[in-house]
Amino acid sequence: MNRSDASRVVITGLGIISSIGIGIPEFVESLRSGRSGAKPITSFDTTGYDYSNGCEIVDFDPARWIKEVPIAELGRTSQFSVAAARMAVEDAGLSVDQLRSARCHISIGTTDGESRDLDHLTETQVRSGWEALDPVVSRRATANLLPVAIAREFGLTQAETTTIATACSAGNYSIGNGFDAIRVGDADIALCGGADAVCRKTFTAFYRLGTIAPDCCRPFDRDRRGILTGEGAGVLILERLESAIARGATIYAEVLGYGLTCDAYHPVAPEPASVARCMALALRDADVKPDEVDLISAHGTGTKANDVTEVRAIREVFGDSVPRTISLKSMLGHTMGAASALAAIACSLAITHRFIPPTINHRVTDPECPIDCVPNASVAADLRIVQNNGLAFGGNNAVVVLSRYDEEAR
Amino acid sequence: MTAMTTTAPVITGWSAISPFGPDGRAFAGGIREGRRTRARVDPADWPVPDEHACLVPGFDVTEALGAKGTRTMNRATGLTVAAVGQLLGHEKPTARVSEGTAFALGTTTGSAQSMMDFTRQSFVNERPYLVEPALVPYGVMNVTAARCAIWHGLKGPNTTIATGRPAGISALRYAGRLLATGRAERALAGAVEEYSVSRSWLHHHGKEGNGGTLGEGVAIFMVEPATSAARPLATLLATEFRTCVDGDFGTVVRMAIRAALARAGLPGADVYLASPSGASGAAGQAERAALAEVTSEAAISRVPELAELIADAGAASSALQVAAVLSVAEATPAAGKTAVITSVDPDGAVACALLRLEDSDPGPAGSLDG
Repeated sequence: MNRSDASRVVITGLGIISSIGIGIPEFVESLRSGRSGAKPITSFDTTGYDYSNGCEIVDFDPARWIKEVPIAELGRTSQFSVAAARMAVEDAGLSVDQLRSARCHISIGTTDGESRDLDHLTETQVRSGWEALDPVVSRRATANLLPVAIAREFGLTQAETTTIATACSAGNYSIGNGFDAIRVGDADIALCGGADAVCRKTFTAFYRLGTIAPDCCRPFDRDRRGILTGEGAGVLILERLESAIARGATIYAEVLGYGLTCDAYHPVAPEPASVARCMALALRDADVKPDEVDLISAHGTGTKANDVTEVRAIREVFGDSVPRTISLKSMLGHTMGAASALAAIACSLAITHRFIPPTINHRVTDPECPIDCVPNASVAADLRIVQNNGLAFGGNNAVVVLSRYDEEAR
Repeated sequence: MTAMTTTAPVITGWSAISPFGPDGRAFAGGIREGRRTRARVDPADWPVPDEHACLVPGFDVTEALGAKGTRTMNRATGLTVAAVGQLLGHEKPTARVSEGTAFALGTTTGSAQSMMDFTRQSFVNERPYLVEPALVPYGVMNVTAARCAIWHGLKGPNTTIATGRPAGISALRYAGRLLATGRAERALAGAVEEYSVSRSWLHHHGKEGNGGTLGEGVAIFMVEPATSAARPLATLLATEFRTCVDGDFGTVVRMAIRAALARAGLPGADVYLASPSGASGAAGQAERAALAEVTSEAAISRVPELAELIADAGAASSALQVAAVLSVAEATPAAGKTAVITSVDPDGAVACALLRLEDSDPGPAGSLDG
């Protein structure tokens, strides 16, 4: 079944704030060379934890990107969101006037919203009492501001703003929401993606569950020990194919479809049948058969539970012919709500630049994860169809399917 | 690619737990009486800066849901699990129904209380990581929708939408999109806000003491395609969203209402019921004036202004406004007439929902004789 041109949605702009690169050129180079964002966490006092590596961004200058909204009114996650949106808009070649006259849909996914601010407020409360909370920080410490801050930055009165708070798959949810908003005619342009900042709350949560790696993240490795918490933002510009062609925009990839399922099973442990159903729904939505998929960008957290469950689910859908399956978290850490957005961006760039980013830190593949994870070194590849997995606490699964843009509709 | 439909979805049932009481019947009664629920806050239970609040009377998670699985459950989740239970009744879904049922839940920022309680343990306990592991999920915003999925067997798309006061309308719009794109066969959609010590203090400081009284509650709607066999209470004709970026809420609210009316091809003067969100301060005043201008004072006067009765219910406010409109419609011959619900968040989000009222018979879930 061919999709008519009118309903095809393509990606025409990318904004990247990550621990392995800010902006496309640096990010591509890091993906190609297998750079690690891991280093000791400095954003909160890690005294008392036995180990505390993370993937923080140490060279982020908000004033470089945020021109209109007073930066003090934005928490770190909102700052990441606005910066990535600014970068994506510039990359797409859209003027502010074009944005203002379009019906924009802004969806930002997040796990923690402004939990960095909530951590600081909690610390103040513990040390000095409730009366001592800072008014500016109290006001900005709320998740609904992430997309609103983007609308304010560009003056987008016509924008629908949505924060998707579905934890670690929220970036994929947002891409799906933007995709549907365009297809049903609610929007002309979607700015969608995800953002999160490293915070004590989430580091402590994963640490308590025994899922923080002492050194680095080794997805699918026999000796994997867990995640490193990371941070950043990824924003993608989505628009109709005909609009992209009319503007002469660069097309990174086409969004073919997506799927959502809920495990309804366990608060934190993933359930393979539901994850498999999500992939099957996404492929059906994209009108793609499993054997047409050239690459899977796995959720791939590098925890014992995730990797085995996810690979089992992948094999349920793909049988014995599983395409190469990588984990970008080996490089980026787990950037929470930004994770599947940054991964979707990496997939788009892998399609455009014709290579597969590696799963780094890999030594011995776990026999329970029998896949080719493209260990340690990127490989050249001509990718047509890429599947991007997102799983989350609460069993909120979201899978997005992207393809190289071909003039002929699939 | 999945089949797309363009028919407007319908609301076929609803439930609410609110300061008026534990179910939809209590809510509808409170609305029709125009009962004010503002009451003194007991400082022994709530060490907060507020003297007054509008709380769900006597709500306790364990009492409402039993002891199993509720030891660490926060108030927002307890309220929502209970409200979804009221709406679904004793239905035990088949696998197909379960996988085809979506849940879209609106919030402001999840439970600030759970998040801060969790981090507080890290600061005060003997080791920073010796925190209660059962609290981990409650520190994440999606916990309420996810717990409802586990409790009630909802395996379809499960989405938490944190858009602040308009979140109930966001959830209805999102549910409509899931139905239009064939991603779900039916959807539960609504919004929740809990009262808590943390929310109260953040509100107090964030608004520098001028934030007004806080309320809480939850409302959940069953949203189905128009082809559903169930009798519709209302058709969701249109939802519109805008963002106020310059403080001029009046202009943006007018834009949103006019766009919703234009989508349905209706004149504003014909709107029968109109409900403003009653946001505090200038944003709320401008919203109300814009709504009166585009529809009419008469339309506004037919629906008791919710914020005056249950104060600022945050994300739940917009969902409870929709429930208020349905409550009024249930008591009057309103079939075929239209209703406009607006919501503004002083942070900038603006939303409008346009409903056509269809039938007044079934009444809200949780009713004993409805």
